[in-house]
Amino acid sequence: MVERHTTVDAPRHRTARETLPLYAVAAVVTVVVLAPLAAPGYALLYDMVFVPRQPLSWDLVAPAQSLPRAVPMDALVSLVTQVVPGWLVQRLVLGGAILLAAVGAGRLVPTDRRAVRLFAAVAYAWTPYLAERLLIGQWGLLLAYAALPWLVRAALDVRAGRDGALARLVLAAAPAAITPTGGLIALGTVVLLVPDRARPRPSALAVAGVALLNAPWVTAALVTGAGGSSDPAGVAAFATRSENWAGPLVALAGTGGIWNAQATPASRAAPLVPLATLVLLILAGVGAGLLRRRLPPGTGVRLAVLAGAAYLLAALGVLPGGDSVLRWAVVEVPGAGLLRDGQKFLAPYALLLVVCAALGAERLLAGIDRDVAAVVLVGLLFLPVAVMPDLAFGGAGRLRPVSYPADWRSVADRVADEPGEILALPLSAYRAYPWNPGRVVLDPAPRYLPGTVLTDDTLRVGDVAVAGENPRLREVRRMLADGRPVAATGVRWVVVQHHVPGGVDPAALADLQIVHEGPFLTLYRNPAVPPGSVAAGHARWAVVAALAAALLLCAAAAFSALHRRPTAW
Amino acid sequence: MRRTLTLVVSGLVAALLGILALGGLSAAATATDDEAATEARNVSETAKRAGKQDPYAPEVYGTR
Repeated sequence: MVERHTTVDAPRHRTARETLPLYAVAAVVTVVVLAPLAAPGYALLYDMVFVPRQPLSWDLVAPAQSLPRAVPMDALVSLVTQVVPGWLVQRLVLGGAILLAAVGAGRLVPTDRRAVRLFAAVAYAWTPYLAERLLIGQWGLLLAYAALPWLVRAALDVRAGRDGALARLVLAAAPAAITPTGGLIALGTVVLLVPDRARPRPSALAVAGVALLNAPWVTAALVTGAGGSSDPAGVAAFATRSENWAGPLVALAGTGGIWNAQATPASRAAPLVPLATLVLLILAGVGAGLLRRRLPPGTGVRLAVLAGAAYLLAALGVLPGGDSVLRWAVVEVPGAGLLRDGQKFLAPYALLLVVCAALGAERLLAGIDRDVAAVVLVGLLFLPVAVMPDLAFGGAGRLRPVSYPADWRSVADRVADEPGEILALPLSAYRAYPWNPGRVVLDPAPRYLPGTVLTDDTLRVGDVAVAGENPRLREVRRMLADGRPVAATGVRWVVVQHHVPGGVDPAALADLQIVHEGPFLTLYRNPAVPPGSVAAGHARWAVVAALAAALLLCAAAAFSALHRRPTAW
Repeated sequence: MRRTLTLVVSGLVAALLGILALGGLSAAATATDDEAATEARNVSETAKRAGKQDPYAPEVYGTR
């Protein structure tokens, strides 16, 4: 076998001729996956909600009554959409995530063979993990997935003591840290890969820097009134799901296994899919030794521990005894609810699998005829797409932009004139709109309407209802269930959404004044409650301070990286 | 002879994967909005017939 120089170990400037094919392939993959987004509008699917201009409201920056699942993601989107339209932001984040995931994985592979890099790029951008998290609309997690190869590379550079590595590490971790899960993945990656007894200062700074990037959501979790525990029913509901006959552990081995059948590409149910997973695992097994040898001593083991921990975390809900531990943890350990949907932590495993498989291909082909090797590599490039073709074109039509009915703009304008708490009825966290056919989406009201919007936070997975954490919503739900009118709940506005199943009892709307009546939305004002803005309070300012500190750190890192010199901190 | 055979077999496998990939891409590309909605409707009806929760009912986040 021919050992080649590693780029992770010894970076060098590449020519455009060397890097262009990688970027070209990444761009093609991005276009193929997101082609439907060439049409105007907003792709609204499950957790993916973008609106024309997201208001910069306190509840999006620092939710007072719910868990900070989208902190600081919502605050950042609100800031950006003040100057960039939401439809463009959606395309930039989705396109950027897929493109950077492919390029990052390609660049991370320690090889000089271009085709091996291309294989890694396609394989990492065409994983079931990416497909499933895209189809469930968790774009923040896709950013973390895309940032991971760049973060690993920066972490190895910090260990090697390269100039500017700390700044690059912070910049790579920043997109990951826009959600709590991504932030934890980034922190775990840095904690496992960077520490070096010979270089304690850069190691400590790297860990501290990524910890600071996590500060906004940690602070928000500490100050929210939602408490820290979650409904243990969510452990079974969100546990890894078997895609086919091979069971959940094999699904995870192939980087799939999301809990939601509707977010899983149909091709994953094919009986031959486990065979493709086996091919990938064999390739990875063959390439693992090569990776270990081409990385600095000890690094391969650290990467393996990181990937193993990710797999274990993902599998915990389906391992014997693991579900019991999780059920106990989500009730007793504040914040452990994050672990319920464990499959989302699988990203580091996916990265190591792809890098090892690419090197496995290189190793297997090293001793054979050049022409044969070229043909096999072309076949390998097609393999991820052949196994899961229905990721293409927005998951075969699932991701398709639509336009919000004009009602939404009208209601947002009316509410903006008289701020106050808004209740969205009928109570339901997710909606299926006739103008967004065949898709379920998180109620857009909290992101479209200015102010605090109360929407149901009970998550229904099949027949199981996973209780939410919002105490204010619990109070409103109880009052409505007791037959009391909405006016008694103390909200200033009520938005009733039409053409969605589950109507609203007209008696419940007694004493409210209609201020807008449209085909899709009716807005009621509660005259018993005067208009008034939400008080900020010290707790919320603490979240803002944490966010400002994280943004300052990113700005300093960007400044340092642009000047190509070691960071001052 | 052995080299030729290897090349032919590898070529056939690569071609098969290529055809599968491109065929799948074509199928995905021609999936229209109406087809996606119809598929969702079919899934809903199948679930209802089986006495299971409709995964596209608005209150349902998804089914396992």
